[in-house]
Amino acid sequence: MKKAVRILIFVITVGLIMGLQHTINGISRYRVPGSSIIYIPSGKHLKLASFGYSALMADLIYLWAIQYFSNQNIWDRFENLEHVFSIISELDPQYYDPYDTGSLIAYYDAKDLELAFRILDLGMEKNPNQWIFPLQAGHYAQMFARDYKRAEKYYKKAMTVKGSPPITRRLYANAVFEQSDYQTAWHNWLEVYETTDDERVKKIASNHLYRTKAAMDIQTLHQAIARYRERHGRFPRELSDLVRAGFLRSVPKDLDEKDYVYDEQTGKVQTRVNPWKR
Amino acid sequence: MVEALKITNLHKSFKTGFFFKRRKILKGITLTVDKGDIFGYLGPNGAGKTTTIKCIMGLIFPETGEIRILGQPYLSLKAKEHIGFLPENPYFYDYLTAAEFLRFYSQLFQLRREERDKRIEGLIKLVDLEKFADLQLRKFSRGMLQRIGLAQALLNEPELVMLDEPLGGLDPIGRKEIRDIIVRLREEGKTVFLSSHILQDIEMICDRVAIIVNGEIVNAGRLSDLISEKVFYTEVIVSGIDAEKLENLGDSMDSQGEKIFLKVYDDAKLESILQLVESHKGHIHSLIPRTETLEDIFVGVVKRQ
Amino acid sequence: MKIRAIALNTFKEAIRDRILYLVFFFAAVCLILSRLLALLTVGDQLKIITDVGLASISLFGTLMAILIGTGLVYKEIDKKTIFTLLSKPIHRYQFLLGKFFGLLLTLLVMVLLMTVIFLAMLFLHAIRVEWSLFIVICLIFIELALITSVAILFSTFSTPILSSVFTLAFYLIGHFSWGLETLMTKMPPGFSKTLAQIFYILLPDLENFNFKTETVHHLPIPSEVIGLSVLYGILYTALVLGVAMLIFRKRDFV
Repeated sequence: MKKAVRILIFVITVGLIMGLQHTINGISRYRVPGSSIIYIPSGKHLKLASFGYSALMADLIYLWAIQYFSNQNIWDRFENLEHVFSIISELDPQYYDPYDTGSLIAYYDAKDLELAFRILDLGMEKNPNQWIFPLQAGHYAQMFARDYKRAEKYYKKAMTVKGSPPITRRLYANAVFEQSDYQTAWHNWLEVYETTDDERVKKIASNHLYRTKAAMDIQTLHQAIARYRERHGRFPRELSDLVRAGFLRSVPKDLDEKDYVYDEQTGKVQTRVNPWKR
Repeated sequence: MVEALKITNLHKSFKTGFFFKRRKILKGITLTVDKGDIFGYLGPNGAGKTTTIKCIMGLIFPETGEIRILGQPYLSLKAKEHIGFLPENPYFYDYLTAAEFLRFYSQLFQLRREERDKRIEGLIKLVDLEKFADLQLRKFSRGMLQRIGLAQALLNEPELVMLDEPLGGLDPIGRKEIRDIIVRLREEGKTVFLSSHILQDIEMICDRVAIIVNGEIVNAGRLSDLISEKVFYTEVIVSGIDAEKLENLGDSMDSQGEKIFLKVYDDAKLESILQLVESHKGHIHSLIPRTETLEDIFVGVVKRQ
Repeated sequence: MKIRAIALNTFKEAIRDRILYLVFFFAAVCLILSRLLALLTVGDQLKIITDVGLASISLFGTLMAILIGTGLVYKEIDKKTIFTLLSKPIHRYQFLLGKFFGLLLTLLVMVLLMTVIFLAMLFLHAIRVEWSLFIVICLIFIELALITSVAILFSTFSTPILSSVFTLAFYLIGHFSWGLETLMTKMPPGFSKTLAQIFYILLPDLENFNFKTETVHHLPIPSEVIGLSVLYGILYTALVLGVAMLIFRKRDFV
């Protein structure tokens, strides 16, 4: 066969294969979202199979979980939230980040406060010498559930851990007598941030500070937007309009000095960053 | 003591396969090598030559039998200090150069550095590898490997040198060079034990031989005793006469075109052939008397087994 | 000394092995990748870098020990370089020990190189290094020494592929004895339980050398545990080498 003919046949075959692939890709196949991971065995079994690399395995699963739970297309992803994070806990019980992140995903994304509590409870169980988990749980109970009995229980637990900051005592007292608000939360977390030496706790406190400031700022912005709508009959085109119209002294920025995101159609303000991914 | 090497009643079998079948390789080898001799160990393939040598070197452990090297128990370090060994088809560390290789082995003898370097230089010169002293062994040809192998066997100036097929794979010039080295070793007072297939070389240099067939020594002794001086047969080449007329007289006959080749063992028959050829006006091309060679003995002995 | 001569020669041979550099390449890639991986996490980045780093040194070091160790003695027997070597005035055990120390030296160099890259990754992230990391790496090295001795043991009588499988099995079982322990607590007393107990004591507990988790969480490692683990490692290695020497003593080299 002449060489030119051979090359031609080769090129046509390659073209056919690529075309086929394209066609196959076009056909939509029914994929059951998130179904694969229900086959992950319990953490105990995984630990046996890790042959001494269980901490690394915890890391890898955690990294995977972060990507998995931010994937909007998997609409049933939260069904396995508890399972995945309990596996990570089993593999490396002293790995703090997953308890924190897991509880945040549970509350902010899955809208399941009870699950958030369960994850933090697991952290407390495995790390009885760490006061940050009951502190966070108390914070959740107070801020989001307005359940002071529960908050009181958690703050008491945090207080009894050796080395807990003095703030926990005050929170315990507050939970019984006072209603907490954003300002107090800000001050509480600021004190934790400034007084701790533990890098991890510092990070957690910083995130809480960010969220508290964001909540305060967004509250202020929404109030200003509402007054603007009353006066002008529509939402402002951008946030600086509020300043020009005199409803705000200045447009607040978030804790990282970045802008908030404003939707002109709905009049809603959001943080630029996913609250638990900062 | 006179004996450089003394082997008594050596037995060795090997397991074959998973079952308890055992194949006996050495069936009671007994031999003695005198000091200062060049001793030839011959035998067909599979007879047990290499197995014997490996037993002597302590690479294989015999079932029964005794081996003494220079009067010492053969496995002792003292004995090893006075032996040199060159195995069949030697193979050495690829990535080392010739000089590095000899230096490494010399470290196992705990020589002082100046002595060591002097000896290595001398040995490389002896085996004619001066040009290749810094070439990696992986680039060595078969013949060159054989020569560096001989060099490493002589590192410790051994009293007994064991060579397993040292002339294998060498061209005629190489074979002559090695033969010369071996003879020189004897002149230096060393004893050489060598096994070989190449009978002509053995004939040329050995003082004593032993022939091993199927694990047993079938013949041994001084070479001069084994090979008699008298004429073994005469090789006759004639033409111009019909082959049938010579049939009863020659012991082995072959014809090629005009010429007829004969081997005649009996002197009387030789006379008759010569007379017959003359009377038929034929032509005698050559008459060569041949003495018995080692090959003849060897073939005869092997045929008998 | 004769063992030293053989050890240095073995070192020169092992350091030329291409497999070593292939494995080292993958180890370097993993170590550098750890930094990228750390960027994906929410929370403590240093933990990811440390975990991946220590795991790489341990895993790839083990791979090197197995891949090269199992070929060490076998190659000499197969290529017949051992014939002339053993004809020299050395004991067979000196040959084995020389091989062992030569490979150990090679592994030391490799672990040091990997540690340098690891430290570089850590420094790029935070100019602060925990001293306990060095203790952990030392213990990893002792584990590698034990694995090397096992690889050499199998190498004296088995082909490289089989030896690799056996040594790998040793490694996995060694890290599994924790599982055996939990299994034992659940077993009813009787024959199987005693059998399991015997197994548990005999088989190596390689978790003795594993302090990766402790150092990552900045937990203190009690010095008695370190001392005892080191002793355990040295004794077990000596035992395995002793068995190897025994097997090697009466071996026929056909």
